Amino acid sequence: MRYLVFFIGSMAAALALFLVLTFALNPGANDDLELDSPIVVVMKATVEGQPMNFWTVVQLGISEAAKEFGVDVEIIGPDHERQIHRQVNMVNRVIENRPPALILAASDYNLLAEPVEKAVSTGIPVITVDSGVNSNQTISFIATDNVAAGMKAGGEVLRLLSTNPEGRVAIVSHVRETATAIERERGVRQAVRPWEVAGTWYCENDEDIAYEKTLEILQDPTVQGIVALNELVTLGAARAIEDTQSQNRIAMVGFDNAPEELAYLERGILDATVVQRPYNMGYMAVKTAVRALKGKEVESWIDTGSVLITANNMFERDYQELLFPIEDY
Amino acid sequence: MRRIVRRMGTLESRFYLIFTLVFFATILTMQIISTRFTITSVRSAILENSRQLTDELVEQIDSYIAGMVRISQAIMENPDVEDYLAYKNVGAEERLASRFAAYIEARDDISSVILFRPDGDAVSADGTDPSEYTNVKKASWYRNALSSEGRTMVSTAYVQNLIPGHYSWVVSLSTAVPIPGQREPGVLLVDLKFNRIKELCESLVVGEKGYDFILDAGGNYVFHPSQQLMFSEIKQEPVADVMRVYFSESPVHRTQNQSYVVARSKRTGWYVVSVLFDADLVTGWPYVHLMNALTGLVLFLIVGLVTNFISKGITRPLRRLQEVMQSVETGEFLLAGDLDATDEIRELAREYDLMVGRIGELMEANTREIELKRKSDLKALQAQINPHFLYNTLDSIIWMGEMQKSDEVVKMTSALSRLFRISISKGNEIIPLRSELEHVRSYLTIQEMRYKNKFRYLIDIPEDLQDVPVLKITLQPLVENAIYHGIRSVDYTGLIEIAGKREGNDVLLTVTDNGQGMDRAVLEKLLQITAPSESGNKAGTGVRNVHERIRLYFGEGYGLSLEEKKAHQPETKMTRITIRIPSGTEA
Repeated sequence: MRYLVFFIGSMAAALALFLVLTFALNPGANDDLELDSPIVVVMKATVEGQPMNFWTVVQLGISEAAKEFGVDVEIIGPDHERQIHRQVNMVNRVIENRPPALILAASDYNLLAEPVEKAVSTGIPVITVDSGVNSNQTISFIATDNVAAGMKAGGEVLRLLSTNPEGRVAIVSHVRETATAIERERGVRQAVRPWEVAGTWYCENDEDIAYEKTLEILQDPTVQGIVALNELVTLGAARAIEDTQSQNRIAMVGFDNAPEELAYLERGILDATVVQRPYNMGYMAVKTAVRALKGKEVESWIDTGSVLITANNMFERDYQELLFPIEDY
Repeated sequence: MRRIVRRMGTLESRFYLIFTLVFFATILTMQIISTRFTITSVRSAILENSRQLTDELVEQIDSYIAGMVRISQAIMENPDVEDYLAYKNVGAEERLASRFAAYIEARDDISSVILFRPDGDAVSADGTDPSEYTNVKKASWYRNALSSEGRTMVSTAYVQNLIPGHYSWVVSLSTAVPIPGQREPGVLLVDLKFNRIKELCESLVVGEKGYDFILDAGGNYVFHPSQQLMFSEIKQEPVADVMRVYFSESPVHRTQNQSYVVARSKRTGWYVVSVLFDADLVTGWPYVHLMNALTGLVLFLIVGLVTNFISKGITRPLRRLQEVMQSVETGEFLLAGDLDATDEIRELAREYDLMVGRIGELMEANTREIELKRKSDLKALQAQINPHFLYNTLDSIIWMGEMQKSDEVVKMTSALSRLFRISISKGNEIIPLRSELEHVRSYLTIQEMRYKNKFRYLIDIPEDLQDVPVLKITLQPLVENAIYHGIRSVDYTGLIEIAGKREGNDVLLTVTDNGQGMDRAVLEKLLQITAPSESGNKAGTGVRNVHERIRLYFGEGYGLSLEEKKAHQPETKMTRITIRIPSGTEA
């Protein structure tokens, strides 16, 4: 009997040790996260039905990271960036489903703060991407350093205007209360001396309004430079310049890299554009979410950087993929 | 804990522990090696498979490019080309334009076909002019074509911006077309949509995470699924290693958990790299591990049982031997005999048996010696009787001689003579009852003469008891006792009766007197058989000798017993001593 106990005891110990050692030897150590439900990404605007090229590329980055880190990601969002309340409702609905993590590109700096804090209080880690919220509860903010991007735009306008020290700069902003707009404007104003700024025009993120406002701006002969703060207002402003054939009088720097913008750039209507790295944003957002879910430390702010693109460097190999995302052609 | 440590002291436990540890280590090592072997062989099989896939991919890319080169060559053989280039023939230009359009129509993977004259004029499928913002002659594909002397050059992947506002990822095939009579040739450009190559790359991947990427001969990316991460240095591929291993024995580069399989396109000089993740290699590792663990367990159980069996086989005979040896403690000398055990233990058992046998012999010899000593003591005891009686008898004979009773002297002397003859009896200890009775009669004759009319005697032994073997000189001391302690001091004529009868297998001989009886102390002495015979008190010495001798000879169950009874006359008692002896056949 005592030998039986001895026998069984050593068997059990042997098996335990064996299993431990065997599993320690696991070759294809698959340390992917196992999630019950997908990580939810709430975009400012979904790609379908929208020409917003920027978000397409964000989604490509998201998909690439999801594949690399072996997680499921569900991407939702309102049809248009202006639908702020719709986005608030969407975030609230997402919280009810308790996803493992929420990645949010906030349409409004203040209005989205409450739903974000609600999500955090129910235990859902929130990562903001591109546009943050007025809250310190998010675990990470992944975006272009928009102040730095604004400074690049302002600096380029200043450089272009250096032959004409009398000129003033008009800022064509997309939305009054969005963090990106606020910060880029601040960057521009930091680069340009205060008396050189003719003013800021808000365009409700609408290309046509931007066109109209730019026509208005062009009435003022002291304005020699225009900085447009996102893709849509850049397109509207560029169209106004082309229509009035004032490209030689106006130094214009825009943001983003829609194909039409690049055509404007090639034609010399747009002198430069500050291009963000949306692909990297999407990729880093998912990567950071995965890191956080694995319990690793994450940086509270990740700058994905921006690049100043001119007609001279737009076909350089390093920027081709950035400016002309391969999927679209 | 201490119990376990002590238990480890047993041979069986040690065997068990050592065997278990050794086999455990062996099995574990075996399993680790076999698992590693499995991993390695599975990995190399999959890598081999992946190499074939990558080679196939390269072949597809090459044959695709080759097909396009053939199209370029076909276009160049068209006489309209020369007409257009040399003479700017409008008809030729129109025909070429429609022909180019037909190619683009037929092949949806051709992005554009354009023929350039050295002066910058061009003919294209849809008649659109190359971008006024683009200086064609500075483009690398154009310069490469000029420097390659008629061979078709394949560019890397890039964004073609020849048409304003229209940007597409292409791979350009450019060929210089010599113009007769002119130093500078024209250039034919065929742009392939890069999507086709990208689709090829994406169609041949291994596993969920695997992907392909392409480097040009200079190590620049032609295609990478996450190219932007490379350019912004978020991710990096080991480009230098990948290009190096292509020229090594095995074109596979290993990092911690992925493998890069490299192949090279001869047509383009591109390195096509297929990336495999170990996690994708075999999805059933948990199953493999479970099987390994189960195999290990089964082996273990078998080893455990075998170990148990072996250790029991060694210790069981030892235990048996130990039990046998323990019998020595109780004085029982058991022999181990032929144990079912190994030679060493059998040898040990044999030695033990020899030793026990020797001890047995020694003890037997010892017993024999003691026996001999006892026998010699006995002889001495027997001898004790003789002088005692001889003295009395001789005394009587002297007395009778003095009284001139010569007849009586003769009678007594002859009786004494008979008495001694029987007493000697050729040294035999055992004599028939008949002889013993004669001895007693001789003795009684002597005593009767000594104590005139003091007593009468009666011998009543059945004829069938006459030949019963008895120890010599057994009755005489009792008769002597009856005379001296029973009859001598009474004032009436005493009676001594000697009788005998059978009781079962025993024979009972009785000596009865009706004298004064023995006093209590003598009686006690008689019963205290085992007490050493102190010769201080002569009374009863003879009786006790008889008792001891009978018991020595015949065993504990035999000997004397004594009874006293009040007789009918008030002063007299009847004293009877009974001798119990075996009926004799075995004595």
